[in-house]
This record gives sequence, C-alpha cells and structure tokens, in this order.
Amino acid sequence: MNDKLYQEELLEHYKYPKHRKKLATHDFKAGDYNPSCGDRIAIEGTVNDNVITDLGFEGSGCVISQAATSMLTEMCVGNTIEAVMALTKDDISTLIGIPLGPTRLKCALLCLQVLQEGLAVYQQR
Amino acid sequence: MNPLKIRNDFPIFKSHRDKPLVYLDNAATTHKPQVVIDAITNFYTHAYATVHRTLYPMGEAATTSYEAVRDKVARFINAKDRCEIIFTKGTTESINFIAQAWALQAIKPGDQVLVGSIEHHANLVPWQEVARATGASIVYLPLNPITYQFDNPEAYLSPKTKLVAVAHSSNVLGNVWNEGTHQLENFIKTAHTLGARVLVDAAQSVAHQKIDVQTLDADFLAFSGHKMFAPTGVGVLYIKKELHDTVQPYQVGGSMIWEVTYQGASWAKAPQKFEAGTPPIAAVIGLGAAIDYIDGHITFDQLRIHEAALCKQLIDGLLAIDGVTIIGNLASLATAGHLVCFAIKDIHTHDLASLLAQDGIAVRAGHHCAQPFVSSLDTSSLIRVSVTAYNTPQDIELFLQACTHALNLLKSALIL
Repeated sequence: MNDKLYQEELLEHYKYPKHRKKLATHDFKAGDYNPSCGDRIAIEGTVNDNVITDLGFEGSGCVISQAATSMLTEMCVGNTIEAVMALTKDDISTLIGIPLGPTRLKCALLCLQVLQEGLAVYQQR
Repeated sequence: MNPLKIRNDFPIFKSHRDKPLVYLDNAATTHKPQVVIDAITNFYTHAYATVHRTLYPMGEAATTSYEAVRDKVARFINAKDRCEIIFTKGTTESINFIAQAWALQAIKPGDQVLVGSIEHHANLVPWQEVARATGASIVYLPLNPITYQFDNPEAYLSPKTKLVAVAHSSNVLGNVWNEGTHQLENFIKTAHTLGARVLVDAAQSVAHQKIDVQTLDADFLAFSGHKMFAPTGVGVLYIKKELHDTVQPYQVGGSMIWEVTYQGASWAKAPQKFEAGTPPIAAVIGLGAAIDYIDGHITFDQLRIHEAALCKQLIDGLLAIDGVTIIGNLASLATAGHLVCFAIKDIHTHDLASLLAQDGIAVRAGHHCAQPFVSSLDTSSLIRVSVTAYNTPQDIELFLQACTHALNLLKSALIL
C-alpha cells in the first residue's frame, strides 16, 4: 500500500484527533509514559454492560503516539472489553498502516498499553 | 586530508548505492574503514589465539599484536608508560571501573564529587551511585546559560572535593571549555592543588582532537573505540601510574593474579591487574588498525577545519528554517565543532528523525543520554547532527533539503 497515504491519515489524526476530550464521568482511567520519546498518554472511559461506550484521552508527544491514540479510541468505542483486551501489537501495526521500526512501534503501542491497563483494573473490580 | 578519498575507504558508503547513505550520527558511533574490518577478519582467519598464557606460536603472535596496540594507544594519547593503558568494553565501563574500584574506597561521607551539569549519563549516574553508597554529595558544575560554556569552574572546587568528573567535549554542546583544552588543563591543575582527583570523559574528543594525557594531567581518562573507527566492545581507561596501587581490581579472576592459594590471592602488576578474563582480542586489534588509519589519513588540525566548515554550513542552513533553535555556542561550533544540536518549535524530534530516515539520513533524536541537561532547556528532545572526516558538504545539503521538506509536512499537520 501507499505509505504516503497512510502518513497523511496519521497526520490528519494528529491535527484533528478523535476523542481528545475530558469525559463528564468515567468508569476507568489509566496513564503512562514512554521514557525514550517522552510521550504521555492518559485515557479514561465509560462502560455499560461490558461495552465501551465512550473514551477520552489527553497526552503529549510525537505524531505517532498521539495519532495512534486517536485511531485506537475511535476504533474501540462500541466494542466489548474482551475485544479490546484481545488487541495485539499486530492490530496496532495494521491500524497505523505504515511500517514502524521497534523504537517508533513503542510510541504507537503506548495507547494500547494504557487502555488495556485501565480495562484490566476495571475488570478486577 | 581528503574527505572524498577517506569516504572511499569506508565500505558502508558503497553498499548503499541506490539511496546514498547520509550518515550524520558520528557522535554516537562511526563507521569502519576497510582496513579495520580486514584487520579483524585476518586475525580470525589466519592468526586467532588467546593472549598472555600460550606457549604455541600463534598465541605468542596474538599476545604480541594485542600488546602492540597498548603501545599504540599510549603513543596516541601520549601516556608516559604503556602500563597506564587499560582495555575495557568502552567509556561506560571505564567510568564505572573508577567508580567501583577507586571511588567507593577513596570517597568518604561528607566529601564532594564535582560533576559537569552537561555530562552524558555514563559520567553522571555512576557518581550518583557512588554518592549514595559513600554518603558523599554531588556538586554540579553549571554552564553559563548564554555561552553554553563553563565560566569559572574553579569556583566550585573546595577542599571537600575528592573527585572531578568532566567531559573533554560534550555530546550535546561540543566544546564547553571556553578557552578550549587549555581551560580544562588549568582547572585540573587547581583541582590537584586542592587534593582532588580528576576523571576526563574523552568519548567525544578522542576522534576529533589530539589528546595528551601528560599535558592534561588527568588522573583517569576514558574513551571508546567505536567512536574512532574501531569496533564496538573495546574502550580505553587511562589510569595515571601513581594511582595503580590505590585503584583496586575492577574484576577478579583469570589473567589478573600474581599467585592464588586456597586462602587467597595476590594481584599481578598493572595493566594485568586491571584486565581480568580473556579480553576482546580481535576488537583490540581492530582498535590498533583504527589508530594506524587515523595516523595515516587524518591530521587533527585539518580535521577541525573540515568539521567546523560543515558545522558552519549546518548552522547557516538551520538558522534559515523557521522555528529552529540551535543549542550551543555558535561561534565555537563554527570554528571548532563536530556536532550541532537543535530543537524545532512545536515539532517532536522523533517525528522529524523518522521522516529524515525515510530519505536515508541518519541523525540522533532524543535527550542524548543527558536527560537532566536537555530537560533544563525548554524542550524534551533535540536533533543532533554530528560529522567526521568522511562527511561532505553534500551530506549537509541533503540533510538541509530533507529537513525543510519534512518540517513542511509536519507543520502542515499542526494547528498553529
């Protein structure tokens, strides 16, 4: 596929992020930091009957980290907790669409790690 | 010194013919000339054996070759005695060596370790650990925030100072001594009069300027082979001879003993005392070939002129780009620099470095293992462009073009 097209999509998500917002209430919340890039991501969400009903994120960092969070949150709203917990590195690579080396992949994976951490704590309650 | 001819000696540039490799990360590590690669291959192919304890001819020849590199290094940095040259894994191990094998015994509660505020983590974290273990405190030598150089480092010395640990040249800022090495020499002289010992981290200077440990009069000096065209896995620790009895072995075991009984052991004399186990023999031989290469092809005076011209070209190009802030002393970089670090407003440097990578351009992005210093600036990360003998004005031109292009793309994505 055309890397340039995907690159443009990433930049679109960076410029106009989905779900970069604060929720009125939340059922779970988690945050983490990538020491190599200095990326920070915090995600909060609401859950109803095992389905993620809304997500909001805040964060700062490189284009990959922030755009990936936008894409991931957009994809996960409406899905079950189990479906999101089953997402892997490969799913994020597919979502991003451009080949990422191991260093940049960490930027892209931060959002998944944070979202799954938040959901894991929620599930244990 | 002919950069184009030198470039031809490095096979990596011939193996990237379809997209020319624009390698500008030389402060991290340099590529290797064919003669260094050949020296290692020949050793493994025709002459491999261990050193110091063999009676067969190949072993004796390997020992002779290995020890000949010690002589070469001693000459290269003008050590008074070959036994002052210790082979280590690299700068990090050399500094940890002194932290563990000297500082932990020599430094007492209430003592001070004076550390440069711009040090690489390798010359910072070991001293934090020493301070924690001994009850000493660390005093950071501040930079003038305008000139990015040390003003009056002597003012931070005190009778409590037991060790000074400073870089000869910074991996972020380049030259931080405002009168060059001369200022460092004077500083070391004053430190000695107050009874302090001095460790110089020469990782960033060894491939760019002549090091003379006798003029400098450092007690310890550390550098890596891989930043000076030699392989990874070998570095040097210079320990002044008068300290050989005070410094303990860093590791104990084979090769470094005088006599071992079931009750205990005594140590061989330096350098064996400080080199336990089988050393990285082939890497040391590669280091010898790298020193021969430098001696034969590079003169430091010409290299400085060449590198500074590339830095000047970089600085001029970068200053024309909107939002770029160069970190460092521009006048010094343009006359004696080998690297330029910069930040770009609203752009994460990893995004820029990734886009540059797509164009075959290798630069360093991040906090450069000097996190406390970089965090003290108004940015979390910097791009570093660093040059050496094989870089050309065309490399800089390609970098500046790609940089402009990538920044336009990234800026189009920003809501400004």
